[in-house]
Amino acid sequence: MDIQPILAALRRHKAGTILIALQIALTLAIVCNALFIIHQRLSRMNEPSGVDEANIFVIQNLWGEQYSTQEALERIQEDLAALRQVPGVQDVTPSNQYPFKGGGWDNLITLKPDQRTETTDASYFAGDEHFLGALGEKLIAGRDFRPDEVQSRGLREKMNPSVAIVSKPLADKLYPHGDALGKSFYAMTSAPVTIVGIVDVLQRSDVGTWSVPYAGESMVVPIRMAMPWGGYYIVRTKPGQLTAAMRAAPKALYAENRMRMIDSKDGVLSFAEVRHRAFERDRGMAILMSIICAVLLAITAAGIVGLTSFWVGQRRRQIGVRRALGATHRDILSYFMTENLLISLAGVALGVLLTFGLNLWLVTRFTLSVLPLTYVLGGIVILLLLGQGAVFAPALRASRVPPIEATRPA
Amino acid sequence: MLKMTHLSKVYRTEVVETYALRDFNIDVKEGEFVAVTGPSGSGKTTFLTIAGLLETFTGGTYHLDNLDVSNLDDNARSKIRNEKIGFIFQAFNLIPDLNVFDNVEVPLRYRGMKAPERKERIMGALERVGLASRAKHYPAELSGGQQQRVAIARALAGSPRLLLADEPTGNLDTQMARGVMELLEEIHRDGATIVMVTHDPELAARAQRNVHIIDGQVVDLAEDPRFHTAYAAAAGQVRG
Repeated sequence: MDIQPILAALRRHKAGTILIALQIALTLAIVCNALFIIHQRLSRMNEPSGVDEANIFVIQNLWGEQYSTQEALERIQEDLAALRQVPGVQDVTPSNQYPFKGGGWDNLITLKPDQRTETTDASYFAGDEHFLGALGEKLIAGRDFRPDEVQSRGLREKMNPSVAIVSKPLADKLYPHGDALGKSFYAMTSAPVTIVGIVDVLQRSDVGTWSVPYAGESMVVPIRMAMPWGGYYIVRTKPGQLTAAMRAAPKALYAENRMRMIDSKDGVLSFAEVRHRAFERDRGMAILMSIICAVLLAITAAGIVGLTSFWVGQRRRQIGVRRALGATHRDILSYFMTENLLISLAGVALGVLLTFGLNLWLVTRFTLSVLPLTYVLGGIVILLLLGQGAVFAPALRASRVPPIEATRPA
Repeated sequence: MLKMTHLSKVYRTEVVETYALRDFNIDVKEGEFVAVTGPSGSGKTTFLTIAGLLETFTGGTYHLDNLDVSNLDDNARSKIRNEKIGFIFQAFNLIPDLNVFDNVEVPLRYRGMKAPERKERIMGALERVGLASRAKHYPAELSGGQQQRVAIARALAGSPRLLLADEPTGNLDTQMARGVMELLEEIHRDGATIVMVTHDPELAARAQRNVHIIDGQVVDLAEDPRFHTAYAAAAGQVRG
């Protein structure tokens, strides 16, 4: 199909052509960036946590009164003993937070004590020698905490851990050559913290977008933290025992000491529920953006169908003349398909610029990553196919205009 | 060149059958200039559209350039229209979005002709109709007579075996009509076969042979009294 006469004809229909090309350009820009954001959100939702998710639940325990540090530590020990008696429980640890909890504790990390700008930021887990076991974490290097390393601390007491177990992403960020084990860092502490163990994955507690640059960077310190109002117990069950243990655990705790509150709705959460809640906003955002993309694509397709149908109606006699002069069905079909392709190509050419412009704005304003080229290429293919799909029905109608139409009065 | 034998064209609805052409016979020899006349509704245009393969017929046979075109598929009919037939319509039927050059080029592109040959033929045809200098003008920028000349150039550019003209001067004033008619005569003198449908007895008289259609049939004027009434009425309209 020769494009010169089609371009010549399009020049005589500038308004409709420009409007559709602009619509395609805007759709490309929005859809590419939206799909990228959706993909990023979905990827985060599916990231492994590093813990034995199928067999873990978390209890949020609030005391009925504020305890002193010593009293809280004693209550915690009683609770841990009670929980270990629950049938099906494999291990349990107290903790200040857990992966995907949302928000929580984090520390700026430096490699030197007097360093002014942090090297990175790590999610800060405080747990005892049962922490790794209760989460089902496996060490890939080094060792677990020894019981004698675990310190008991009140909330406002200074915490100066001398050792830590870190996640691999944190180890690699601090020591990119893979030699982090045995080396030290500073976590807002005056004394160095030595890395004694490394786990492959231990997701952060916070899931906000601000922490994306520090994804997966976590540290565990051997501190049994006594918070005056209560805290979290992370419980790992034997396979298949989760549901029963989740039901039995709060009863066991109440039986041990009734002066507490475990929320009937949010107090005991399976890890599956923790993950579900952590990414509720991401899921909502992904659904919203998917709907926006679908609506935009539908509007663009409808615009193409509408304009082409209008043009076919308007040019019915002209099509008849072309048929009379020797055009076949296929010639007419291909005329309209090519016409749409040319408009779409102009649209996506402008759209590529808009796409990167919008991405640049999102990168600088909302810390979004730079859009990979594959999204733009994918978007171009989607828009071109959409255009060809949308124009097909009216083009087919045009191809069925009989040559006799040329002799009908205008 | 063009031979129709016992040809019929019937338009059917649920309740009525209308014969546009009935037992229609015509034989146009190569190089002839035939004017087809007849009153409104007599079947002139139906004859021309069937002759130009713009629509199909119901019965009988039609040979165009010694080829039986009765049972050809749509693509084959498109090819014959493109290669053997040149159309000149009453309403010119130029494509308003294309300039003169591109309009004349339309049938040549459908023939798959290479660009240099297309250009040569287009400029040759435009020179012949005296509009080579208007190649870049759009139809709306031309007078009615000029538009019809462009349409003739478009019909000529493909060197068709048969030129079909449907009231070619119907939308033109007398002076422009005369110019177009002279052009057709000149084309005929160069050897083209022309079949022209017209209401105008004066134009018809300038053709080599007249064929008269009344009620969907070719009639012999001397023998058919219907013609005298119809002819008188048509002539009266023209004079009036």
